[in-house]
Amino acid sequence: MITNHSFNYHKLLVLILTIFSYQLSAADVAKGEQIFKQNCTACHMITDARLVGPGLKGVTDKYEKEWLVKWIRNSQELIASGDERAIKIYEEYNKTAMSSFYFSDDEFSDLFAYLAAPPVEVEPVLATNVTAEESGISNSTIIMIIALILLVLVFVLSSVKNSLKESLGQNTESISEAIIVQKNIFLSNNAFKLFMVLFIAIVVFKFTYDSLMGVGVTTNYQPTQPIEFSHKIHAGINGVDCNYCHTSARKSKHSGIPSANVCMNCHTYINEGAVNGKVEIQKIYDAIGFDSDSRTYIPGYEKKPIEWIRIHNLPDHAYFNHSQHVVVGELECQECHGPVEEMDVLYQYSELTMGWCIDCHRETEVKMEGNGYYTHLHEQLKEKYKGEAITVAKMGGLECSKCHY
Amino acid sequence: MKNNKKYWKGLAQLENNPDIEKLAHNEFAEKLPLDDFLSDDLSSTNTSRRDFLKFLGFTTAAATLASCEAPIVKSIPYLIKPDEIIPGVANYYATTIYDGRDYASVLVKNREGRPIKIENNKTCTNARVQASVLSLYDSARLKTPLKNGVEAEWLEVDSDIKDRLSKIKDKKIILLTATILSPSIISLLENLSKKYKNVEHIMHDAVPYDGILNANEESFGLRAIPSYYFSKANVIVSFGADFIGNWLNNDYSTDYISGRNPKKGMMSKHYQIETNLSLSGSNADKRIVIKPSEQKVLLSDLYSSLSSGSDPKDNRLSEIVKKLKANKGSSIIVCDSNDKKTQLIVNAINYILGNYDQTMSIAMPSYIRQGNTAKVNNLIEEMGNNEIGALITYKVNPAYNLHNAKDFSNALSKVPLTISTSLYNDETASLMEYVCPDNHNLESWGDAHPSYNTYSLMQPTIAPLFNTRQFEETLLKWLDDSDYNSFLSDFWRKRGVNWEKAVHDGFFNIKDRKSQVTSIAKLNENVLSFEINNINKIELALYEKIGIGDGTQANNPWLQELPDPISRACWDNYITISAVTAKNLNLKNWNVANGALNGSLVNVISDDIVIKKVPVMIQPGQANNTVGLSLGYGRMKSGKAANGIGLNAFPLLNSKFIALENIEGEHEFASTQLHHTMMGRDMVKETSLAEYINNPSSGNHTDTYPTWKGDLKADELTFYDQQDLKTGHFWNLSIDLTSCTGCAECVIACQAENNIPVVGKQEIRNSRDMHWMRIDRYYSSDMTQELASKNDVSTIDMYKEMEEPSENPEVVFQPVMCQHCNNAPCENVCPVAATTHSNEGLNQMTYNRCVGTRYCANNCPYKVRRFNWFQYSDNDKFDFNMNDDYGKMVLNPDVVVRSRGVIEKCSMCIQKIQELKLNAKKEGRPVLDEEAQTVCASSCSTNAIVFGDSNNKESEVYKLKNDERAYDLLDHLNVDPSVFYQTKVRNKS
Repeated sequence: MITNHSFNYHKLLVLILTIFSYQLSAADVAKGEQIFKQNCTACHMITDARLVGPGLKGVTDKYEKEWLVKWIRNSQELIASGDERAIKIYEEYNKTAMSSFYFSDDEFSDLFAYLAAPPVEVEPVLATNVTAEESGISNSTIIMIIALILLVLVFVLSSVKNSLKESLGQNTESISEAIIVQKNIFLSNNAFKLFMVLFIAIVVFKFTYDSLMGVGVTTNYQPTQPIEFSHKIHAGINGVDCNYCHTSARKSKHSGIPSANVCMNCHTYINEGAVNGKVEIQKIYDAIGFDSDSRTYIPGYEKKPIEWIRIHNLPDHAYFNHSQHVVVGELECQECHGPVEEMDVLYQYSELTMGWCIDCHRETEVKMEGNGYYTHLHEQLKEKYKGEAITVAKMGGLECSKCHY
Repeated sequence: MKNNKKYWKGLAQLENNPDIEKLAHNEFAEKLPLDDFLSDDLSSTNTSRRDFLKFLGFTTAAATLASCEAPIVKSIPYLIKPDEIIPGVANYYATTIYDGRDYASVLVKNREGRPIKIENNKTCTNARVQASVLSLYDSARLKTPLKNGVEAEWLEVDSDIKDRLSKIKDKKIILLTATILSPSIISLLENLSKKYKNVEHIMHDAVPYDGILNANEESFGLRAIPSYYFSKANVIVSFGADFIGNWLNNDYSTDYISGRNPKKGMMSKHYQIETNLSLSGSNADKRIVIKPSEQKVLLSDLYSSLSSGSDPKDNRLSEIVKKLKANKGSSIIVCDSNDKKTQLIVNAINYILGNYDQTMSIAMPSYIRQGNTAKVNNLIEEMGNNEIGALITYKVNPAYNLHNAKDFSNALSKVPLTISTSLYNDETASLMEYVCPDNHNLESWGDAHPSYNTYSLMQPTIAPLFNTRQFEETLLKWLDDSDYNSFLSDFWRKRGVNWEKAVHDGFFNIKDRKSQVTSIAKLNENVLSFEINNINKIELALYEKIGIGDGTQANNPWLQELPDPISRACWDNYITISAVTAKNLNLKNWNVANGALNGSLVNVISDDIVIKKVPVMIQPGQANNTVGLSLGYGRMKSGKAANGIGLNAFPLLNSKFIALENIEGEHEFASTQLHHTMMGRDMVKETSLAEYINNPSSGNHTDTYPTWKGDLKADELTFYDQQDLKTGHFWNLSIDLTSCTGCAECVIACQAENNIPVVGKQEIRNSRDMHWMRIDRYYSSDMTQELASKNDVSTIDMYKEMEEPSENPEVVFQPVMCQHCNNAPCENVCPVAATTHSNEGLNQMTYNRCVGTRYCANNCPYKVRRFNWFQYSDNDKFDFNMNDDYGKMVLNPDVVVRSRGVIEKCSMCIQKIQELKLNAKKEGRPVLDEEAQTVCASSCSTNAIVFGDSNNKESEVYKLKNDERAYDLLDHLNVDPSVFYQTKVRNKS
C-alpha cells in the first residue's frame, strides 16, 4: 500500500516536472498529439509495444529528425536509396511498406515534440484499488472488534472495581458471581422476564424469516470469473456502450455474453491492459487461437471456450425477456444491473425475486406515446382508468402467464 | 331444430356398460396408486407414526439445507458467433422432408442451431412429417459406418467399396432405392453407370402402387400417377382410396376441403366405397361398405352403366351414376386397388366422364410413387441365381417390408458385395456387409421433383449429429469426387435457377414440358370380366395407420403414442373386425375395471403364412366378414420405441383371403377411446348443406331455460362478475367441424411445441395420456327422435334402429383442448390460485404454484386438464425421448418441462402470443391478424383451426365468432369459452 502511494506521488511529481519543463512547447505537444492520434495510431503505439509497426517510445532519441522526416515522407525511397537502417526496419516488419505522410515542417516538429515527451497519464485505476482495499474491512469484523474491546473493558473495570473494594476492605466478587447476582435480580422481575422472552422470540423469528426468505436470493453474488474482466475499464473509463458487447439485449430474451470475436474487434490491437498487463487479454487469445506477436490467427488451432460464471440466474420457470425491457420499456441497463460501469468485478445488484419484479411492474408507467402498438389500446385504457397513471400492472403485467409458461 | 341424433364414442358406451357409466362420473379412472408408493401393505409395516414424523422432519430439513446452496451455473458463449444466430431468437429455414414415404416442403424452426419444430411451407403436411424432427434426434440411429457389423472408418469403407465395385465385370451392380424424387440423384446414378459396369437402378415402394402405375402405362404410355385437383370436382367417388389419410402422399386434404366450403353454397359430394373405416370414409358424405372382392364388380357395373347409359345392376350405385352423369368433367374416381385391371376400369370411367385435363391430369403427372414390384421380384430371382455382383440399398428396408422378405434375405447371402445406406442398422442393413449411414433429411442437401412444374430444395438445418454422410456425397466419393453441395448448386444453376432465392424459398418453378401421353384406347372388354367368388372366407384389407404409416419412422415415440383417429388406439396394431363377424367368430372386446380395453387374440392364417397372437379390435364401419390390419408394425431392429410393438403385416401384402383361429389369452389395448368422456352430453352440432343454405343457423340450436324473467338462454344467466375483455386483445380459437378431417397433425404439432411427454402404453391404459389436445371421434346414426315420431316408430324400435347403423356409422371428429372459459370452473376451485384468468381471455396455468390437488381437473367440464403422475423426463421408467440426451434436443426452450405433481393443459401457445405482441411492440405497429397463430392453427392443412384476436374487427376469427354456425361446446353451462366450434355440414343432397 505504501509503495503504491509513493509510486503515485512519484508519478505526480514526474507529471508536474514534465509540464514545467515543456511548458514553452506545450502548444506544440498538444498539436503533435493530435497529429499522432489522427495519423499514426492505426499502426503505432506510443509505448514500446509493437502494433503493425514498432512502438514509438524514444524514437526521436534513436533516429535523427532529418532521417525520420525522410522515412515518413517516403519510406520506399529511403529503402531504395540503400539506407541500412531503413532496410533493417523493412526486413524486420515483414516488408510491410509504411504509407507516406506529407506533413509540413511545423507539423513535424510538433509531432516529434510529442513523441519525445508524451504526457504521462495518471492512472486512476490504481488509486481506486487502494481505496477499495482500505474500506475492505467488513462491518461484522468491526462489530467483533468492538465487542472484544468491550469485553476486555468489562474485565478491566471489574478488576479495577475489585482492587478498589479490596483497598477499602470491602467484599470483592468475581465476574461470574456478579453475573449470578444480576441474574437473580433479573429473574425475580416478571415483567422483565416477559419482555426478555418476547425480545428473544422476535429476534429469533426475524432471523429465521430473513434467512428463509434469503434462500436462493443471491444479491451481491460476485464469483471469480475465468478472465478478470473489468466493466469499469470498458463501460466506465472507456465508455463502451453496453449494447456493443451485449448485442442481443435489444433483439432477444438473452442479453448475450459477447463471443470472443467481439472482444477481438478491439483486442486485436490492444494486447496490454493497465492493471493486469498482458495476462488477462492473453486468455482471450488462448481461447480463440491468436498469436499476439504476429497478429495472426493460428491456423488449425483447437479453440477453447471461455467458461464464464453466470451471475444473474432466474429459475427455469420464470420467463424474462431483455428486449421487452430494453427496447419497449426503454429501461436503462443500470436500473436492474446497478452501476455496472463502476464495477471492477461484476456482482448481482438487484434481488431478482418475484417481489422485486412485481414492485416495479406496479410502479412503472407504460410509455405508450409514439408506439403504434399502443395507439388504440391507449385510447381504451385512458377511458377505462380516467386519468389514473397506467402502470404495467394495469395492462396485465401481474398476470401469472406473463412470466410463467 | 334441436339435433336429437345420438352420438357415442365406442361400442361399450352404446351398450350402456356399467363400467363406462362409472367412468363418466370419475375424472380419474383409477384409485390412487398408494400401494405402489409404499412397498408393503400399510397395516403390516413396522414404521410407526413417530418414525414417519422423524423421516418427514429429516427430509424437509435436508431438502431445505440442500436448496440453500445455489449451484454454479456456467455460461459459455460462442468463440466466433455465426452472424445469423442470436441466442434466444428462432431462425427459420425452408427445406424438404422426404423419407421415401412422405414428401413435404416445410419450414424448420431452429433455436441455437437445433431444429425444434416443423412448420408448413404453404403446402400440406401430415403427422409423420411434423414428427420427423424427433426422428432426427433418435439415438438409435447409426453413428458410424459399419463393416461386417463392426464400426469402421469412412476411408477404409470407401476404398474397399470402390475397389470391389471396379472389379465387378460380368455381374450386375444393383441400386435398390425408394422412389427417387431427386433429379440430381438420377444424374449421379447416370455418372455411376458410366464409371462402373452393368449398373441398374430399381425403385421399390414399401406399400406398392404397381396397379395404378401399370394401368396408366397401358392406358397412356406413361408410368406415372396423375395429378388430382379435388377442389375442382363436384362429385368424388373413392373406391377404398384413403386420399385424406394415407393414399399416395396424403397431401390432398387442403385441396379437398377447399372444395367443401358451405359458405360458398357449394360442397363436393363425396362417396366412399370401402372396407375398413378410413379417414376419408369418416369424412365422406355417404359411405358404402363393401368387401374388397366387390370392388371390381362395382367398378365394372359403374363402367357399363356409364358407357351404355343403362341403370347399374347394383342399386347402391344408382345415386352415384345419376350424380356422375350430371357432373361430367367435374368428378373424380379414385381407387386404392393394386390390381392393374381394376385400375384400367377406373381410368376408363374417368375418361368417359371427361375428367382428364379437368379434375385430373396425366400429362402433368405426380412422381411421388414410381416403385416396380415386378423388377424387385426379378431382382430376388437374379440374386438367387448369382447374377448380381453388388447390391446397394437406399431408403428401403426390403428384409422387413417385402411380402417375400425371407426370399430376399436368403438370396442376399448369394450377393458378394452388399451395401446399405440406411439411417438405422435395421432389418436389411444388419444383413449387409457394409453400412454407409445416410444423414437425416434435416442434415442434408437435396432436391425433389414431386410433380409437374414443382421443384423443392433441401438444405441442412443442423450439422450431422453423428459420423454419417449423406447418400449423394457417398455416391460422389465412389465417383472419386466430392462436395455434393456445390454439385447440387451447379446442377441447378446450369438449368437457370436462381440458387440463392431457391434455397431461401425452399422451392422453385421450372416450366416442365408436358408429358406426351397417348389417348386412352378403348377398354378391352376382357378386363371387365371377373369371377364372382362365393367363397365364404374372411377377406383381408391392409392399411397404413395415420401415425406409423409404412413403419419408416416407427421408432418415433410421438407417432407410436398418437392415437389412431378412428380406433383411438396407440402402441399397437390389431385386426379390425365388425361387431357381427366378431359375434359369429366368438371374438370379444371388453373393458376392465379401470376402463381400459382388452380384446381376444387370434392367429391370422393365409396359406403358409401364419401371424400369431393378433389382437382383435371391434370396429364399427368395418365390412362384415372382412378384417383390416395395419402395416408398419412389428419392427425388430428399429429402436427401443418400436421393437416388438405390434405385428408385421407385410408378409400378407398379397393375401386376399385369410382364416382366423381363435386362441387362448387376451390382449391389453392402449386405447384413448373412452378417456376424458364428457358425461354423455351432446357435443356435436350438425346440419346438412340443403338445410344450411335454407337457414345458416340450422343445427345450431341453443336451449332456453325458464326463469322469473321469462325464458332465457344460458349465457344470459350468470352470477359471475363480467370481466373486461373488450380492452386490449381477446384471443379466440375457432374450430370448424366441417373442415376438420381428424388427421391428428395438430396433436403432434402441439406435442412438439409444448414439450409434451410420452408416457408409454401402460400409462395410456391407465387413462393418463398427456396430450394437451385430443381429437374426439364420435359415431352417430341416421335415426333421430324426430324421424321416429314422424314414422311412428316405437321408442324401443327407435333405440334399436339407433344401434343398428353402428355397422356403418357417420363419424365426426372434434378437436378438444382447453376451452379457456371466461367463467372458468377450474379457477374457482384452485386453493392456491395456480390457475387464473388473464385479461386477454386466457385461462392461465402456473406450474410453479400448483400443489397438485387436481380439484381443477375434477371441475373441468371438458376434461382437458392433465396431471403429471410422474416425472417423465430423466426417468428410466419412461425411457422415451425425454430420457435421452439426443431426444432432449428437440425440446422447446421457451416452454417449461413440467415436473411431477402438477396439472398442465393447453396454454393457447402463450409463448407464441407473447412473442407476437413483443415483436409488434418493438416494431411499433399493431398485431397483424395473419401472424397470430397457435401451432394447432398453423399446422392445420385444411384451415379448420383459426386463431386470432376477436377484438380486432378485421380478423378472421372475429368474423367466425359472429358466424351463424359458431357455437360453444356445452353452451348450457355458460362457462363462456374462448374456443368455439362451427357446426358440421354434410352434403346430403
